[in-house]
Amino acid sequence: MVTLNVNGVRREVLVPDDTPLLYVLRNDLGLVGPQFGCGLAQCGACAVLVDGKEARSCVTPVASVANQEITTLEGLPARWAKQKGLSAEEAKATLHPVQQAWIEEQTPQCGFCQNGMMIKATELLESNPNPTVAQIKDAYTNSGPSPNLCRCGTYLAIIEAVQHAATIIGKRS
Amino acid sequence: MATISEKPASVLGPTLSRRQFIKAGGVLVVGFTFVGPELLKGDTARTAVMKNSLDPTLGSSWVEIHPDNTVLIRTGKSDFGQGSTFTAYRQIVAEELRVPFEAITTVVSGDTDRTPDGSGAFDFLGRGTPNIRKAAAYTYQALLDLASEKLGVPKDKLSVKEGVVSGSGKSVSYGDLIKNQQLKLTIPVKGDLTSIFGLTIEGDPPMKPVSEYTIIGKSFKNSVISSKVRAQETWATDVRLPGMLHARIVHPKTLGSTLISAGQLDKSKFPNAQVIVKGNLVGVVAPTEWEAINAADQVASGTKWTDWKGLPSNAKLYRHLREECDWKAAPVEKSHDSKGDVRLALTSAQKKHSGTYQLSYMKHAPIGPTMAVADVKPDGSVHVYTHNQNPQALRGEIAMMLLTTPDHVVVHSYPGPGHYGRSNGGNAGAEDEAVLLSQAVGKPVRVQWMRADDLQWSTQAAAAFSDVEIALDEKGKIAAYQIDHYMPAMQDDRPIGAVLAGLPTMSAPDVHSGGVTAIGNGLEDPWVYAPVPNVIERGHGTFQVGQKASPIAVGLRDHSMRTPGQFQQNYPRELAISEAAALAGADAIQFRIDHASEERAIGVLKSVREASGWDTRPSPRPDATSTGSAPIRGRGVSLMLRSGTYWACVCQVAVNPSTGKIVVEKYTAAVDPGIVVNPMQLKRNVEGGAVMGISHALFEEVMFDESGITVDDWTTYPIATMSDIPEVKVVLLDNPKVGAYGGGSEAANALAAPAIAAALHDATGKTIRRLPLKPAYVLAGLKT
Repeated sequence: MVTLNVNGVRREVLVPDDTPLLYVLRNDLGLVGPQFGCGLAQCGACAVLVDGKEARSCVTPVASVANQEITTLEGLPARWAKQKGLSAEEAKATLHPVQQAWIEEQTPQCGFCQNGMMIKATELLESNPNPTVAQIKDAYTNSGPSPNLCRCGTYLAIIEAVQHAATIIGKRS
Repeated sequence: MATISEKPASVLGPTLSRRQFIKAGGVLVVGFTFVGPELLKGDTARTAVMKNSLDPTLGSSWVEIHPDNTVLIRTGKSDFGQGSTFTAYRQIVAEELRVPFEAITTVVSGDTDRTPDGSGAFDFLGRGTPNIRKAAAYTYQALLDLASEKLGVPKDKLSVKEGVVSGSGKSVSYGDLIKNQQLKLTIPVKGDLTSIFGLTIEGDPPMKPVSEYTIIGKSFKNSVISSKVRAQETWATDVRLPGMLHARIVHPKTLGSTLISAGQLDKSKFPNAQVIVKGNLVGVVAPTEWEAINAADQVASGTKWTDWKGLPSNAKLYRHLREECDWKAAPVEKSHDSKGDVRLALTSAQKKHSGTYQLSYMKHAPIGPTMAVADVKPDGSVHVYTHNQNPQALRGEIAMMLLTTPDHVVVHSYPGPGHYGRSNGGNAGAEDEAVLLSQAVGKPVRVQWMRADDLQWSTQAAAAFSDVEIALDEKGKIAAYQIDHYMPAMQDDRPIGAVLAGLPTMSAPDVHSGGVTAIGNGLEDPWVYAPVPNVIERGHGTFQVGQKASPIAVGLRDHSMRTPGQFQQNYPRELAISEAAALAGADAIQFRIDHASEERAIGVLKSVREASGWDTRPSPRPDATSTGSAPIRGRGVSLMLRSGTYWACVCQVAVNPSTGKIVVEKYTAAVDPGIVVNPMQLKRNVEGGAVMGISHALFEEVMFDESGITVDDWTTYPIATMSDIPEVKVVLLDNPKVGAYGGGSEAANALAAPAIAAALHDATGKTIRRLPLKPAYVLAGLKT
């Protein structure tokens, strides 16, 4: 039995300790935002936040993150609401600024990598609310276990969306 | 198969009939029928419709107008990230029907039992007239007829605004118009539902004049983006059926290995797993995904395969292609633009350029490896849940494999990772394997390929080479142009699991396999330099490398990839044209303008020249150097016509001669598709294509040895990262007088390679006629 804290909710799962977190999230907890891309921590499609830091759930043994704070794409609105102290009603009607920016900038194409792209943006903006283009490129290329890869080539749209999210955060705070 | 689709095509005008619609709250049903000679006798005859298919002669198959004035549309095309079905299609239908964009509340796409027309996720805009536009245009005429009768006003006195028909002071909304009525509209359709091209609506319904467009041209948002970003979309990867087992495939050791013995499962470690063997297909199923993965690894380690060494290996690829392939197997294709006496002009030329251009194999490389869930039920019906570019074709392939008919098969289409052409002939890799495993265990099975499976067992874009000769006259103009394109067959639509299991499939690409799976190398790159007096363009095709030699008929299987064939033909042409310009001492853009006559080609060239800040001069730059460790900059241009759209591209690069590393600093594209349907979506598609094109040009090469593909992850098959992208500028040239909308997603990925290679020449004075432009190849090229 492993006890997880996912998106602010305590969840208990009966799985082998070495099961990658990704399969537990997708198959046992119904959290399907993270996607299976490579199983090798080489692309970022499976990314989640663990204690606020981007982690590749495809190579993270579930027992290694027991009791740590895990946030998936599904949990981004609640994460934002908690950070801003929004009421439950307000929180329901609120998207994370990163998600809002991703929609307004029409960032995804096939969208399969975008879970990881939004997780990376959230991690970046929580430490640097106003990143430059160079800092954004650096974060997506060098800060994780591997660069966050997009085959459709949406990197430009991602940069614009991160900047747009920064503007939204600036206005909302 | 019971097929409506094999009916001979004929083109008749639309016919209308109407009857009282008994059910309350009617739906305007626009139906289409296959018009064969027997239908000339009347409009009531019907051909049999397959079970689990929409009757294309029935209305709800295409367009439904509801009493609340909302509209539902259906298309066989699945979205692969282009967004066209959710943006352009709604805009086109809204325009033709004269309803607001928002009135089209539902888009049904892909599912074989819920959409009418099949075909693949490519050429969405149908060069201006996709099926959905004609469907909407016919519907509009039918609505006018109905309104004319209801209001007692002649059709030509009616006008429609926002779904309300008005005339002579009277008006009625579409919703009210169709209440308690059913309208049948019979329209000619031709084609083969389960073929790559599906069904096509025939006839010429009146279309809304372009000058009256109010919806096309606006940047409506793609609704599916919102649901994906909110984690509310159901992806193919999310499908879970009751009792479903997870599976992994143990693929053969080489691309020609046969199974000696499957490994024994260690039941003490994997008590719930099971090994399934069918011919050379080995699968491992288990109730949980982690058990399936580990059990498959354990089984793989004990599985014995024969050895095979029947591939030329990457290092000998081009020698193999030129010297060892049978290029006489297929008839030589010759372009329609070929003219004059090229040989004579080449012999008498003052200046001559000749060169051989080579492109490596490239992978589609979706971010997620292919997967599918299949459920073979006790009654023999088959349901497949997957992400597929041509679900109807997959349906036909699954039926063929199981020796049944397509009416027993339903393919459910969901979003998934883009794979850029790999499944436009019906399969991407895991679908048939899931079906066979489900059939074996009597439960739904989910097959997920791992990263290595996806790189080593999927198809790839074919490698190619071209020989070019260009003669210049005394004025520095092209007197003759000759190109010979050599490429192995690029469309193998056989499902790999069926091949491994030894079950029926369509034939491998062959001389007589017909259609897109023939081995002939068609001319894919329309000639855009009409004033050149002597031209010959030839295409030479052959069998896939290693396929005939492989004991399991596999080898290096190829499949069309974004801008298929044209990428392989445009790269040598455009790089050679830049070299000819240099030989003539002319500026590369002006040289192209001087050899073009089509106003739109000249238009994109002038536009890209201005937008990129191009300085007009010959290449190479005066201080070009191929030595030293200081980066030296250069620029190059490329031009293409594809699917009714003219494209020009300028790449500005910095090259470090001491390392061979190329950095693209700025990418500018000018695009004239005719009418721009949705500027925002088009811009995003072009930007994405630009990045993919830079990736193709600089990084991508399928490495293989004598036995199989050796790349197995993102480090051995790298693609562009965010740090590799330049400043990108996209200029959209809205050109309504063209009167049609051309494609906007393909081509975008093919423009960079010839422009970057020309820029490398501009910077260094050296031309490297081989892709990709990896540092090692660039270094070697600069030393020659």
